Amino acid sequence: MALTVKCYATLAEHSPPEGETPHAEGHTVADLLAELRIDPAEVKVIFVNGLHAGLDQPLRDGDRVGLFPAVGGG
Amino acid sequence: MVNERLADLARDTPETPPGVRLVSGGVLADLGLGLGLGAREMELAALAAGLVPARYLRNMRTYGPAAQARFLRSRVALAGLGGLGGHLLELLARAGVGALAAADGDVFEESNLNRQTLCLADGLGQAKAEAARLRASAVNPAMDCVVRAGFLDQQGFSELVQGADLVLDALGGVAPRLLLRRAAAQAGVPLLTAAVAGTSGYVALVRPGDPSPTDYFGTGADEAKPPAEVLLGTPPPTVALAAALQAAQALAFLSDQGSTEGSGLAGKMLLFDLADMTFATVSL
Repeated sequence: MALTVKCYATLAEHSPPEGETPHAEGHTVADLLAELRIDPAEVKVIFVNGLHAGLDQPLRDGDRVGLFPAVGGG
Repeated sequence: MVNERLADLARDTPETPPGVRLVSGGVLADLGLGLGLGAREMELAALAAGLVPARYLRNMRTYGPAAQARFLRSRVALAGLGGLGGHLLELLARAGVGALAAADGDVFEESNLNRQTLCLADGLGQAKAEAARLRASAVNPAMDCVVRAGFLDQQGFSELVQGADLVLDALGGVAPRLLLRRAAAQAGVPLLTAAVAGTSGYVALVRPGDPSPTDYFGTGADEAKPPAEVLLGTPPPTVALAAALQAAQALAFLSDQGSTEGSGLAGKMLLFDLADMTFATVSL
C-alpha cells in the first residue's frame, strides 16, 4: 500500500512518480513534505481524503493527500 | 394590457417546456418603447405572462422560466474585470442576470491578450471597466451594468458588495482578495471565489462565517518567491474553465432563490489541474 499524492501548481515539480509514495507507519503530513522536499511554508492548504488537514495529521495506507500552494491569478 | 399584447405576439416552439411560448426581443423592445419600459422590465413582464424572451430559449431546459425571472431580479457584485472577470461578465450577461456592479482600476496591456476576453488588439490602453460596460450593453441590454474604474480599498469593496445577492471574486493576486472577502462577510453576502496558476485552479463558495481558501494564503507579502501565477503564468483554458465553474455555481445559487444549501460548493473547494485532468471537491 502507499499514499496517493496530488501536488498542485508550483508544487507539481515535487510530485512523486505516478503520484504515489510508499507509506511509513506513523508518518505525518509534515514527514511526507520532508520526503518530497517541499517547504511547508509553500503549502497553504492540505487535504487528506477530501478533508482539510494540518501538518501534524497522521497518515495511513491508502490515504489520498492533496497539496495546494497560494494561487491568485485571475 | 401588456399581457394581452404579448400573448398575441408569442410563438410556440418544441424546444420550450410545455405551456411556455416564445417572444422575440424586437417585439419586446417595440412594446417597451411605447410603454416607457426598459428591456429588463419587459422581459420580466413577458415571463410573468408565461412568455419566454427568445434570447433565453436555450437556457430553458436547464433553468426554466421561474429561475430566468430570478436571474433578471438578481444583483451580482463582480470584483475584477480581467481574465476571470471578462468571462464572468460575458456568461452572466448571456444568462440574463439583471444587475451587475463591477469594478476594476486597470487598463489593458498586451500580456492580457492571451486570456482576457474583453481585451482586444485595438483596445490596448483602454480601461477594463469601460470595455466591460460596452460589452455588457452590446450582449444584453436587459442587464443593468454599473462599472467603477478604480482599484478599491476596504471601503470601496464594502460599497461594491452592498445590496448584492452574491459577490464574485475575479481579482488578480492574493492580497486584494482578503479585502473583498472581509467586505462580503461583513455585508452577509456569499462570496464565490476562484483563482488560477498554470494549469491549476480552484473555485469555492464561501458563505458568511465559512473559511475561504484565501484565509490560508496570507497576503503574499512575506513570500520569498514570486507568486505562483507569475511563475506559471495564466493560460487561456485554465482561466476560462475557472470562470465557467464560477458562473455555473453562481447561476445554481441564484436560481435556488439565494439558498446556498443546494449549491454544490457551499463550504467546499473545487480544485483542478488541467495537466492531468484532475478534478477534486474537498471540504474546507
